[in-house]
Parts: sequence; C-alpha cells; structure tokens
Amino acid sequence: MKKTFAILLLTLLIFASCKKSNDKFSFPEKPITIIVYTGPGGLIDVTARKFADVASKYTEATFVVENKPGSGGIVAMKRLLQLPADGYTLFASTKSNISKIVSSGGEAYIEGIDWAAMMMADPECIITHKKQKVNTWEDLIADAKIKDGNQLWLGPANGGLDHVTALKIWDEAGIEAKWIPFKSGGKARAALLGEQGVAYVGNPREVLGNDDLQIAAVSSLDRLAQFPDVPTFNEFGINNLDNEFMWRGFVLKKGTLPEIKKWYDELFVKVNNDPEWREYWERGGIDVVYKGSEEFTKIVHNDKEQFTHYLHKIGIINTEATNLIARFATGKALNFLIIISVLIFLIIGIFVNRSPKRKYLSRIMLPIFFIMLSIIFFIISFSFPSNEKVGPSVIPRLWIFILIPLNIYLLFNILRQKKEIVQERGNTKIIFRFIGLLILYLLSIFYFGYFISSFVFLLVGIYLLEYRKYLTMLLISAGWLLFSYLIFYKLLYVPRPVGKLIEMIF
Amino acid sequence: MEILTNMAQGFSFVLGWQPILFIVLGVIMGILAGAMPGLSPSMGVALLVPFTYSMSPTLALILLVSIYIAANYGGSITAVTINAPGTPSAVVTSFDGYPLTKQNKPGMGLGVSLVSSTIGGFIGTIILILFSVQLAKVAVKFHPAEYFALAIFGLTTVATLGGRNWIKAFIAAMFGLLINTIGIDPISGVSRFTFGSVHLYDGFSLIPALIGLFALSEVFKQIDEQNFKSKKVELEKTQWPTLLDYWKLKLTIVRSSIMGTLIGIFPGAGATIASFISYDIAKRTSKEPEKFGHGSLEGVAAAEAANSSSVGGALVPLLTLGIPGSASTAVLIGALMIHDLTPGPQLFNNNPEIIYGLFASLLIANIVLLVLGLFGSRLWVKVTAVPKKILYPMIFTVSIIGSFAVRYSFFDIAACLGFGVFGWILRRYNYPVAPIVLGIVLGNIAETNFRRAVMMGDYTIFFTRPVSLILLVLALVSFAWPILRNKIYSKKEFSKLKSR
Repeated sequence: MKKTFAILLLTLLIFASCKKSNDKFSFPEKPITIIVYTGPGGLIDVTARKFADVASKYTEATFVVENKPGSGGIVAMKRLLQLPADGYTLFASTKSNISKIVSSGGEAYIEGIDWAAMMMADPECIITHKKQKVNTWEDLIADAKIKDGNQLWLGPANGGLDHVTALKIWDEAGIEAKWIPFKSGGKARAALLGEQGVAYVGNPREVLGNDDLQIAAVSSLDRLAQFPDVPTFNEFGINNLDNEFMWRGFVLKKGTLPEIKKWYDELFVKVNNDPEWREYWERGGIDVVYKGSEEFTKIVHNDKEQFTHYLHKIGIINTEATNLIARFATGKALNFLIIISVLIFLIIGIFVNRSPKRKYLSRIMLPIFFIMLSIIFFIISFSFPSNEKVGPSVIPRLWIFILIPLNIYLLFNILRQKKEIVQERGNTKIIFRFIGLLILYLLSIFYFGYFISSFVFLLVGIYLLEYRKYLTMLLISAGWLLFSYLIFYKLLYVPRPVGKLIEMIF
Repeated sequence: MEILTNMAQGFSFVLGWQPILFIVLGVIMGILAGAMPGLSPSMGVALLVPFTYSMSPTLALILLVSIYIAANYGGSITAVTINAPGTPSAVVTSFDGYPLTKQNKPGMGLGVSLVSSTIGGFIGTIILILFSVQLAKVAVKFHPAEYFALAIFGLTTVATLGGRNWIKAFIAAMFGLLINTIGIDPISGVSRFTFGSVHLYDGFSLIPALIGLFALSEVFKQIDEQNFKSKKVELEKTQWPTLLDYWKLKLTIVRSSIMGTLIGIFPGAGATIASFISYDIAKRTSKEPEKFGHGSLEGVAAAEAANSSSVGGALVPLLTLGIPGSASTAVLIGALMIHDLTPGPQLFNNNPEIIYGLFASLLIANIVLLVLGLFGSRLWVKVTAVPKKILYPMIFTVSIIGSFAVRYSFFDIAACLGFGVFGWILRRYNYPVAPIVLGIVLGNIAETNFRRAVMMGDYTIFFTRPVSLILLVLALVSFAWPILRNKIYSKKEFSKLKSR
C-alpha cells in the first residue's frame, strides 16, 4: 500500500515539476469559456457565438459559450469574478450591464473587471411609424409642444440605455414627453406599429425587415453608410447627441497576466479586421470598432457617471428613506421586523396549541401566515419611491388588501366551526425524514455534482420508503441515471449542476 | 390561389428525407423535453438553438418548431400519468387527466390529450397560414388596458377552479400574484421585496415553483398518505378512447383551438392563459359541468387543444412583424438572426421558401406527432405501473435538473424544494395550488399593463375603450356566477337534507 502511494506521489511530483520547468508561455491550453448574461438567442448570445466562429480562423483555441442568465447580468458578472483570473473566462458585455451595476449598487464590479475590448458601437436612434402623421424629427418636436408633456415614447425597461437616451434627447431638444416602458424592445415596437405612441428609442437594425418603420434621427457624427437617408441629430442643430451608442465587447477578470492579455488583444484586432465579421454587423448600421482596454475603461467610467446621474433623477437609485415607516423597511430594521414577525407567529402558534382550538392548529396558522406575510410586504412597500401616478407599491398593495380580508374571513369561519373535524391522517414523520434527506441531497449536489449525489439519493430514498430488493435498487438507480444522462445531456443538452469539488479537480 | 401555389412550394422544400428526419427528431426531442418536469417548450427550444447555428436556416427552423410543437403536447404526459405537469400550460390538463389515471383509465386521458393537441396544432397552423397578416394588424392595436382586462378575465377562472373552496382558491391566487411582485419592478426598475438578495432580483422563476407545487407536493402527499400501491396495468386491457368519444369532443376541440390561437397571437399572453380560459369556457358551456375536475374528457380536450393551437398564434407576430409573441418565439428570433434573416413582413418577399417551408413543416410535424404519440402512449401508460417506492425518488432527481436548467442556479433548486413543502402543506388543508401558478403567470401581465395604461391615459381608460370594457364586464360576470351558483346549489342541497 505504502509503495503504491509513494509511486503515486512521485509521479505527481514529476508532473508538477514538468509544468514548472516548461515555463515558456503557452496559452490557451484548454477551452476558453465565453459567459453570456442572457439565454441563448439574444443579440449578445449571437455576438459571442459569431465571435467564436470568426476567431477560429485565427487561433487553434476552442471557445465554449456558456449562458448564465439572471438579474440583468449581475449573476454572470458574479460568476466571472468568482473564477480565477487565468484568462480562460471571457465575458460578453454590453452597456446595459453598466446600467444594472449602477442601479443595483454594485460599483465593485466595474473595478473588478478588466474592460479588455469594445468590439462594436450600435448608435441609438429614434424610430417612428411611417403611416402616423407624426413621423419626422420636426413633427415630433411640434407635436410634443402641443401635447405638453403627454407625448408617448415607447421602449424597453426604465433606467436602461434607451430610456436614458430618451431623457437626454428631451433635455437637449427642450421638450417633455412620457416614457412607456415595455418588457422588451420587441413588444414596444409592436405597440408603435399599433400606433399606441409616436416614437421608439432603439437601434437602426430594428427597422430592418419592416417597411412601416423609419428612423427619424440617429446619434452619429455623420450619416450612417447603411442608412444614407437618415438624418443625424446635429443636422437639426442638436449638438450633444452625436455619441450615444450601445456598445458590446469582451471583458476579463482584473489581474489576468499581461501575456494572456496581449494574446487576446491580438485576437480582438484580427477579428475586428475580419471581413466576414465586419460585414455581418455593418449591415445593421453597427459601427464595428475596436477600442482597447485603456479607452474602453474610460468609456465605461463615463457611462457609469451618466447612468448614476439619470437613475438618480428618475428615482431608481433609492435616495434616503423619506418617511417613518419606510425606515423600518430597509437595512437592519428589516431584519428586526422579520425576526419580530416570526416570534409573533410562534407565540400565536403556542397560544392556539394550548387553547381548546388545538385541533385546528394548522388550519388556523395558515391564514395567519398569509396575513403576517401581507403585513411584512405592506410595511416594506413604504420604502418604494412614489413619484409616479401609479408607483411600484400600488399593485402589491392591491393584492395585499384583497389577501388580508379573505384570510380574516376564513379564520373567522374556522373559529366559528362547531362540527368535529376528521383527524389528520398520514405519516408525517417520514415526510420530515424525506425533507431532511432532500436538504442533504441539495448540499451534496453543490459539492459533488449531480450524478454522484443522485445515485446515493436514489438508493437512500428508495430505502426510506421501505423497499428492500437491493439488487433492483442498484440496477434501477444506475439505469435511471444512465437514461437521464443520455436523454437530457446527450439529446437535449440540458445543463447539469457541477459540484464545487468536482469543478476544482477538473 | 396564390397561397396554394406557395404552399405547394413549401411542401416541396420539406418533403425530402432530410427535413422529414429533422421533423421526426424534433418531435421526439420535443415530447421528451415537454414530458420532463421543468423543461418548458421555450427552454427546450433555447437549449437546442446553439446547435442549429451551423445548420441551414430552413432545417434549423424546422427542427426548432417541431420541438416547440411537440413540447406543448409532451407536458400533458406527466400531467396525466403522475400529476406533474411538464410544462406550465399542462397544469390545466392535469385537472382532469390525473383523475382519469386514478380511475385506472390513463389511456383515456393520454389519447384525448394527444388527439386534441394535434387537431389544435393543425387548426392553429391553418389560421396562421390564412389570416396571419390581418390578425397581426389587430394584435398590435391591443392596448395595455385590454391586456389588463384579459388578465383579469383570466384570473376569474379561479372562481371556476375553486368550486366550493373558492375562498381558499382566491387566497392561493392572491398569494401567487403577491409573490410575483418580488424582484425588479418591470415598470419603474426599482427592486421590490428582494431582501437584498441578488437571487430575488428576477423574482421566483415560474418553472421551479411549478415543479415544486405540483410534482413535489404530489409526491409528498402520496408518501404522507402511504399510497404505494401501483396499479397493475395490462396493456391489452387499457381503455383507449373510441372514435365516438373523439366525435363527441369535436365542438370543444374546435372552439378551444380557435380560442388558443387567438390568445396566442397577443404578445405576452400565451399558452398557459389560453388553456385556463378555454377550460373555463368549456366547463361553463358543458352539459356535464359537474364532471370537470373528476376526469372529464372535455376538460382534457379543452386544455390541450388550446395550448397546442397557441403555437400557431404565437408565430403570427413573429413572422409578420418580427416581434416574438412568446418566450419560445423570442428564442426563434435568435435562430433566424444568426442565419442573417430578419423576421418581419419582408421575409415573406425575400425568403418565401423559409416561410412556406415553415408552414408546411408545422403541418407535417403535427401529423408526425400524432403517429409517434400513438405509439408512445402505449409506453407512457406503463409509467403508472412503476413501483411507487421507486418512482417517487426518481421524480425528485428529475425535478432538480428541471429547476436548475432554468437559470443554472442552485437557488432555484432550493426554491423548488421550498415550494414543494409549502404546496404539500396547502394541499393537506384543501388549498388548490393551480391558482398560485395562475397568479404567477398573470401577475406580471396584469400589473405592467395596468400601470402602462394609466401612464398612457388615466384611470378611466379601462372603461372608455370598448374591448377592455367588454372584457371587464365578462370578467365580473364570470367571477360572480360560479360563486352565486355554488351558494344556490348548496342551499338547495341543504334544504334537501332537511326534508329527508
């Protein structure tokens, strides 16, 4: 035994020393992951995949695109910063990430990221409906003055790039209008086609394929080659809107070795000059441009300042809590509130358990749970800004105001009930064991990954349910996992949770 | 006439061995993805999109829409056999499909769901082919006020769902609506009820909640009640629907298909709402409303026809305007884009082969689905024969991949388990869980459109726009009627008891 161990150790040592002696720089030695912060199919996903495709002309390296959607990119950026700065993780970023970072107070991300390369600039523009009366820049201005603040502009979410661009346009043109946010740019464009508003803010590419849409003005110094008939803002005497664009680029974690960075810089330049790459994007009026780390970082910091300014202005960044109740709903006071609520809930529980209504314990506690949840949510809702006609607190409160009376009525009914209830059936003990097992299973997946954990879980789970044919258990567990491996991963490409420990080894 | 020649051309693109092979492959993948709790049609499509980037655009689209169609049906398999709807829109199928299995008639539920799905899919496609341009013009005119009214109308189906437990059903729906407000507010962009956690910025995802509330809570319930006996299924003795059974359902299927297509057209509405609403209408217009919830074939047919036909509807805005009508079609846009195709009216002129090839493949995919489904149903029935002590732990393992796959997040797995335990507690005390799902699905539509409408006008806008007014009045009637009827009904019963 000792001998084998010694040999093993020796081999490991040799391997390790080999790596050291072979100090010559060689990158990459394994596939490079490009993290995309949306699901497959979005524009940034297409960007990343197109990049991988074009880059394969210039390097032997393989690129793997990994989608990590959630929280407008925060989840994906977190992932980037958790991984080592070894250059094997690239992050496909857009200007929207900056808006998200600013609105969620995550400035640390900006400092933790090496803004390696901006690859394209997609100019912002105003899109109008050809068949509506108001469809040129002059019309828009005249109409806005008549409607006096009630002109409707459509676009994606509040606080995003398009909204901020609209705010700037209004400032520069000296008009006032209303921003009606939709779930996506596409839905807003549909509303424009339905003549529900007069203008939409987006990018030139979005008018392609639809003859009814036209661009009223574009943010660019000169007219775009792809859209020679489209006027720029400065043609109308508006000078501060020449440089509003959505950028897309690739970033690394800060601290990546300079040699690796150099390797990337060369690759970015090559891809940037590639005719296929240029043609693919330029058709949509996108400026294919390469800006290295230094310039890109400046742009990012500038964007950050802009977003901070405008997000404050429209109240997305929470300023000080304005009233007394709101102070209870933020920070440490909120934790206190929750602890107090749990205590009250427990006290009521104990109280009911000692009262003659003991048999109804669970039936009574459920409505009380709903009522307390509603009250907590109600208190928190005071901390939302309320500078709009229907602010973010209106609808949650509406549901709360329906939920509470319904539960009080139900509670009243239960307490009034005279007739005996059927004794609760079932075997709750085994459920608690099962829940315990599931929690262990979850932890195990976190560390050891899906397959090992599932195998063990299946065996223990089946055993807990008092099934005792051991051979069948083994065969079925193994067979099921093999089946799910083939169907889910080989046929349907479903991602599986990889354990932390497994990840460290491989 | 022009359309016929175009369609003939479309078929000529598709009737080769390669496209047909892709359709068959897509249908098989779709059925499997749909049947797996957690993989919704849009996710099934999204997961495969990256692998279609290297195919020709026509083949890529054929594969993806075949998956999309089949996944809408696949969800009903697990809904019927183990009460674990594989997709959100199959929730409604489980209302009557699972009781059929409990009555030892899984074949009836599976048969009706398959046939209604394919007929629904067919009708949806025909409407898409014939009227897409006109319908798209109506769809874009649909004002936020009307979306809000539609959502409220959808919510009133809770009154039907709840039956005598309508208070508990409403509490469940309101709970769903309330937890739906967790996350970044879609209108103002501020974060609400997130308790400072990044995981809650997007709120709870629908899929983990769905798996937890249905699949897991069902397993907990069965374990709790020690229901481990599996039914002996003898294939020869399994009862399948007869042609006469199908014939009796013709009206329900056709009506639900048309409803499903129409609701599918409005960007954002989609299959789940379509199935809830057409189930509701089927129950109201049925001669045997009391059977609903206890294994009514009409109920299964209404739900499945509606959710499958909504595929055709969702493709209308995508193809005619370049705007996605559903999560799945949003993914299809990416697939078109990578092939340098811009969806929109110009696609009809510039690449007719793609459009009409797509239409033809939709029709063929439905036929393939019917054939494969008929073979498959013989297999699915066997699921009910797997020993429960083995089946239950297996459901957990699948649920975990399903909830993980949504956002690749461990938080979602934990949320799924949490919803499972909570759902089990609720069901133990007779709170229906389906209204929670309805609340989560409709909450966002109701809220954003309500606020959008008020921003665009003022509070009176809901009553000054005729369509919105009509929908709201309908909602009020359909909300009040079942509750009133229940009251009258139980009074009658009460007096009957007294007179005895």
